[in-house]
Amino acid sequence: MNKTFGGVWIFGDYRDYFQNRITLQLIAKGRELAETLNTGTTVVLLGDQIHQYAMEYVAHGADTVIVADHQNLKEYEVEKYTTLLAQWVKSYQPEIFLAGATSFGREFFPRLAKRLRTGLSADCVDLEVDPESFLLVQTTPAFGGELLAEVVTPDRRPQMATVHPGVFRELPHNAESVGHIIYPEVDVFPEPRVKIVRSKPQRTGKVSLEDASVVIAGGKGLGSKEQFELLYELAELLEGEVGATRPAVLSGWAGEDRLLGQTGKSVNAKLVISIGTSGALQYITGIQGAETVIAINRNPDAPVFRIVDLGLVADAATVLPILLETLRRRL
Amino acid sequence: MNIVVFVKQVPDVPNIRIDEQRMTIIREGVESIINPLDCVALQASLELREREGGCITVISMGPPQSEEALREALAAGADQAILLTDSAFAGADTLATSHVLAMAVSKLQPFPDLLLCGMQTIDSDTGHVGPQIAEELDLPQVCGVNEIHMDGHLLVLKRLSEGFLDTIRVPLPALLTVSKDLCPVKNLSLGAVEAAFSQKDIIRWAAHDLGLQPDEVGLKGSATHVRKLRPPADRTGGRIVTGSPQFIVDALIHKLESMSILDEEDGNE
Ligand SMILES: Cc1cc2nc3c(=O)[nH]c(=O)nc-3n(C[C@H](O)[C@H](O)[C@H](O)COP(=O)(O)OP(=O)(O)OC[C@H]3O[C@@H](n4cnc5c(N)ncnc54)[C@H](O)[C@@H]3O)c2cc1C
Ligand SMILES: Cc1cc2nc3c(=O)[nH]c(=O)nc-3n(C[C@H](O)[C@H](O)[C@H](O)COP(=O)(O)OP(=O)(O)OC[C@H]3O[C@@H](n4cnc5c(N)ncnc54)[C@H](O)[C@@H]3O)c2cc1C
Repeated sequence: MNKTFGGVWIFGDYRDYFQNRITLQLIAKGRELAETLNTGTTVVLLGDQIHQYAMEYVAHGADTVIVADHQNLKEYEVEKYTTLLAQWVKSYQPEIFLAGATSFGREFFPRLAKRLRTGLSADCVDLEVDPESFLLVQTTPAFGGELLAEVVTPDRRPQMATVHPGVFRELPHNAESVGHIIYPEVDVFPEPRVKIVRSKPQRTGKVSLEDASVVIAGGKGLGSKEQFELLYELAELLEGEVGATRPAVLSGWAGEDRLLGQTGKSVNAKLVISIGTSGALQYITGIQGAETVIAINRNPDAPVFRIVDLGLVADAATVLPILLETLRRRL
Repeated sequence: MNIVVFVKQVPDVPNIRIDEQRMTIIREGVESIINPLDCVALQASLELREREGGCITVISMGPPQSEEALREALAAGADQAILLTDSAFAGADTLATSHVLAMAVSKLQPFPDLLLCGMQTIDSDTGHVGPQIAEELDLPQVCGVNEIHMDGHLLVLKRLSEGFLDTIRVPLPALLTVSKDLCPVKNLSLGAVEAAFSQKDIIRWAAHDLGLQPDEVGLKGSATHVRKLRPPADRTGGRIVTGSPQFIVDALIHKLESMSILDEEDGNE
């Protein structure tokens, strides 16, 4: 069998394409893994009239895209997708199969792994090929993020994992890239038992923390809603978004859609400025994808300083107004 | 409507310790609780039984002390409890766990109409077990349900998925995993707990009762292995700055400039 088929597979989730970058992040990581294994990266793409996405995936680094383009596959449905992908896995035999830990990924990947009688790890924050055993080392948070577990699937294939959105960085679009796009024959499917009769968007604002390049994150240390509001101004001046820790959300200073961390969102930003946050592990999970982290905390021993590139020991209430004033003058 | 609720006994997370040899958690000496979302599922089953009639069976796979979780469930109002316990079950991943749980369900007479799981646990938190039981039993599944209604023989459900509120119809029998928004959990009264201790028996099944071979279950029947547990890594090389507020602000501005997030002071803007 062609080695590009046997290699690293990625579930192509094209929904909400411009917001949801998980597939592109997985392609970038997939290429890295595939290189170590001397194989290729394949995206499997299921849907109706989705050719354009196949081209996008090639431009972002996929060697091969296997497409099932069928009107019957328009909706993301656990049973249909499981049946089709199980057939493909059996015929092409990938080594590794990754999906984003989105609601859908977390609902259908376990079912697929079970049908294939193989192992699956959940919501991974890191993936790496062990240079000796060539096994995929899947790092997943356990016990509320207190510990990381390294999970391996020694004997069964494929080695499957869902991956936390935002922990890997996508490759830039390259229109020159070449790749194979394959359209295998697709059977018609029986009607699914689970019928989604209505789907209503619940998004409140347009908070897109995952895609912001600057994130200003505030914690309980800001002390009040009024202080927290200053972060919006700072974010505006730096063209960023505002994120919050769990206690800040619980205090009503920010909406749930701004929550960062294990139970919230993960950033993929160039810069996070974390203000008045202690640096609990569950929170750090959400900001460790940033290239640079700066923290402001008045306690020099705050754990957050262990993970920063620049730590500023200061009272946020004093420093924020001066900072805003300085920035306003300059911009 | 006959309902099965799967309950897992979990350690009260902040107090865990790890067995470095076997790479599993040491449960002894740590307070154990019912996984919080399983309490939500149980509460929902009580409300459904009140409307639709039927019988609630709670099932747990775990070491002998998981009996406490089942006793609590009985006290809360479950009709029957089954403990799946066998030293061969230890160290199971979700593939092996779901196998044992599914085999136990297939022994039930009559086959249940509705199977309820938590959407995930607070300890290993994979969320795999529900969908994997559904797969083995060839049942439809819906994850993260926050509303359950009946319309004739169909379940009408709501759940949040990817920022959308889905309304879903699914025929029985079906498996659902529940989110915390499904219903508030009422506290069990101590009197009820004592009553459960004295009254109902717990059914115990080991591997051979389920017709399972030792290599299908536990560590041997698992596809994944936890190779290592470790604390999250720290970033290194960070610079910590103290000083007057103006000095702090200058240090920050300088960093923003060096990252090209701000233009240099004397630049063109
Ligand atoms: C299972 C589980 C999941 C969780 N998931 C999440 C999650 O997804 N996201 C999340 O955020 N949390 C989560 N948490 C909670 C997490 O453990 C922490 O409690 C939380 O992140 C702490 O938030 P904080 O830093 O805002 O508050 P605190 O821990 O109270 O820290 C406040 C900090 O501000 C500093 N400070 C105080 N005053 C000032 C001042 N004037 N100027 C500067 N600094 C000041 C203090 O020194 C302190 O370090 C979770 C917990 C559990 C158990
Ligand atoms: C650190 C660590 C990491 C792990 N990583 C993985 C991994 O990546 N992949 C993997 O396959 N396994 C993994 N495991 C093993 C996994 O934790 C066990 O299989 C566990 O029994 C079930 O997984 P869960 O707690 O994640 O259940 P979930 O799937 O999160 O549980 C969902 C629901 O299923 C029901 N349920 C789950 N377990 C039981 C039970 N024993 N009895 C009754 N009902 C139950 C409950 O209703 C529960 O709310 C890991 C274990 C540890 C300790």
